[in-house]
Amino acid sequence: MQKAFGKKSIIFLFIFPAFLIYTLFVIVSIVWAGYYSFFDWSGVGEKAFIGLKNYVDLLAGDDIFRSTVWHTIVYTIINVLIQVFGGLLFAILLSRVKKGRVTLQTLYYVPVVISSVAICQIFSKLLSVTPTGVVNQLLSLFNPALKVMEWTSNPSISLYVTAFVEGYKYLGLYMVIFYAALIGVPDELGEAALIDGASHFQEYLYVKIPYIKPVIIANCLLVLNGSLRSFEFSYLLTHGGPGNASELMTTYMYKQAFTSMKYGYGSSVAIMIVIICMAVGLIFRKITGEGAED
Amino acid sequence: MKKKIVALFLAAIVSASAILTGCGQQPSGESAAPSQEAEGKTEEASSGEKESASDAGAESTGERTKITALLKGTESTEQFQVFDYMLSNFCEEKGLDYEIELVNDMQDYFTKLQMYINSNTLPDIYGCPNGTLSKACLDIDAMVDVGAELKRNGYYDKMNGAIIDFLTDANDGNLYLFPQGLYCEYFMYRTDLFEQAGISEAPTTWEEFEAACEKLAAIGEIPVIVGGSDAWQLMRYLSFSPWRVTGPDFITNYQAGTDTFSDNESAKYAVNLLHDLGTKGYFEPGFASVDFTSACNLFFGGTGAIFYTGSGQIGLAEEMYDNGQLGFFPVPDTEGMDNMSTNVPIHAGFAEGFNKATYDDTMQEFFDYMCENFSEACYTQAKIFSPFNEDLPEGLPQLYYDTQPMFATAETAWTSWDDKLDSDVLTKIVDEQQKLAQDIVKPEEFISTCDSLISE
Repeated sequence: MQKAFGKKSIIFLFIFPAFLIYTLFVIVSIVWAGYYSFFDWSGVGEKAFIGLKNYVDLLAGDDIFRSTVWHTIVYTIINVLIQVFGGLLFAILLSRVKKGRVTLQTLYYVPVVISSVAICQIFSKLLSVTPTGVVNQLLSLFNPALKVMEWTSNPSISLYVTAFVEGYKYLGLYMVIFYAALIGVPDELGEAALIDGASHFQEYLYVKIPYIKPVIIANCLLVLNGSLRSFEFSYLLTHGGPGNASELMTTYMYKQAFTSMKYGYGSSVAIMIVIICMAVGLIFRKITGEGAED
Repeated sequence: MKKKIVALFLAAIVSASAILTGCGQQPSGESAAPSQEAEGKTEEASSGEKESASDAGAESTGERTKITALLKGTESTEQFQVFDYMLSNFCEEKGLDYEIELVNDMQDYFTKLQMYINSNTLPDIYGCPNGTLSKACLDIDAMVDVGAELKRNGYYDKMNGAIIDFLTDANDGNLYLFPQGLYCEYFMYRTDLFEQAGISEAPTTWEEFEAACEKLAAIGEIPVIVGGSDAWQLMRYLSFSPWRVTGPDFITNYQAGTDTFSDNESAKYAVNLLHDLGTKGYFEPGFASVDFTSACNLFFGGTGAIFYTGSGQIGLAEEMYDNGQLGFFPVPDTEGMDNMSTNVPIHAGFAEGFNKATYDDTMQEFFDYMCENFSEACYTQAKIFSPFNEDLPEGLPQLYYDTQPMFATAETAWTSWDDKLDSDVLTKIVDEQQKLAQDIVKPEEFISTCDSLISE
């Protein structure tokens, strides 16, 4: 059996279906989006070839697109902080807990298995102003003015609230990955540090966290990619609003293509998202030294 | 050799399962058929294949075996209830099958409809608003002249004038769409709260409306409930004044570039009205994140004093109205300007088109059957007003009988900005109106931005 799996032809046989599906659904889609981006097209009827005009308009004259790029960056940073660093913190705390660890681990993981739509519905109700949701009801115990605190309809904070909700959903996933990595750190390394006089904080800071650095980098890359392409939380919670206050590149692309019926323009936004995702990914790999072995 | 065979076998299983998983998926956004429909189309359902819509109606021999429809909504929405009732009865009589494809989300529905238009595979009957999409259907010659058909079977003169006005094609003046029903809109108010606030008469002008809001706010009540996250709810407040003063002229001319918000007094008035209502705290706190369904639940659950609603919500209002807790009033006048006499917005809902390419004798027969039985289906199945001017049957909630006189003779339809504006302009105005109501932009900025959208 092992001999068979070592053969290139057999490996190819297993890889081919995934490769085929990936090519069909990802590569072909990107190529098609690139093709449509050169047209003025409403999605129905005739397409008019306009060359690079969509890109010129997008980069030179579209203030909303520029603001969505900035929103996406802020959104990504918040998500990296919550999902990666929050996940790491929770994993460390979990690794220190002896009793009820499995229960806690399960509880933290629950949001990951709940669908995004359900999570958004739950938060819509929790953060509701009229009728007063649980969050405002509790806050009003400390300050009655907070009873009408607007979370998703306040343009100053709606982006942060949306990012928090996505961070909350996936925090448990990265916590589990970090926890698995942490318990994989050889005990003797930590014990040696403790014998040498290190505190538990130092044990984590100088021994365990550096040991799991590749996992941290991999998770950062996953969260970066996920957040740059994030759509559902902004769309379901705030519709990108109020106004464009929590508009991300992806929701803007959707609105342009399907609401404004500018398929060509929406496709050019899609291509820009692909370019930005690739650029951020490459820069991150360069900074972290990942992929050097390639 | 055995190992090779095992490995190949495993690879084949992996590939097959991946392919079968894809094939087994139901198309997203497509609702399952109801029980009656399931009976008629078990074969299609079990095969898991989605037939091309136009092929579905008639076989290659030319003999029709099935009627297909694409409708927006769920099994509990009016359009489905009416068509499911009529198709099941008609098809049972004729020995045909029928298939109703449902897509609930508006955007998903438009995407699906566009896909059918692009591939010229529209079903026999399809939900379609009057505007860009109906024009696209006309461009591929996929719309039966419903007006001509109604004249042929003698139902044209029975149809409400405002409904015909609402659905008439702006380019050639023909009627290509059949109404979903007759919907009238009005404000409902809580009689007990009005009494507490010392408001003796329902407001007839916007000044009186704002004065009433002030009094209601003074007694600690939320004056107006609005579903601000649904674009059309805030847009109504932008549209009321221009509609009462100019009919469809302002928005049509605005889209054509011959009128602007800054030049039109009624439009400016509406902008200031929305800004006032939003910034003076007359809407409920957090209104921008409340959708229409939640707004209905709030108002009919006892929160707020005034709510813009209509005949579509009679079922929700019925009990409170019968108990004397609710009253209604039409759209107030814009003071200082000439207002047209029609003050109740009337529209046809999400209309239906009939595919010209598949409109054979059977479909014509169904069309006649539909006209004959439409009113009955409206009142018994969907609980909505029929678009045909006929006496109301007995046994309906009192609100039907009390509101009907408001529109019985109306000839001017509501002008829906959604239909008149270019999609891109509409999307931008939707974003801007929310900013206006939340005081993120001032009325002057809103006017200047909206005027620039057309000059772009």
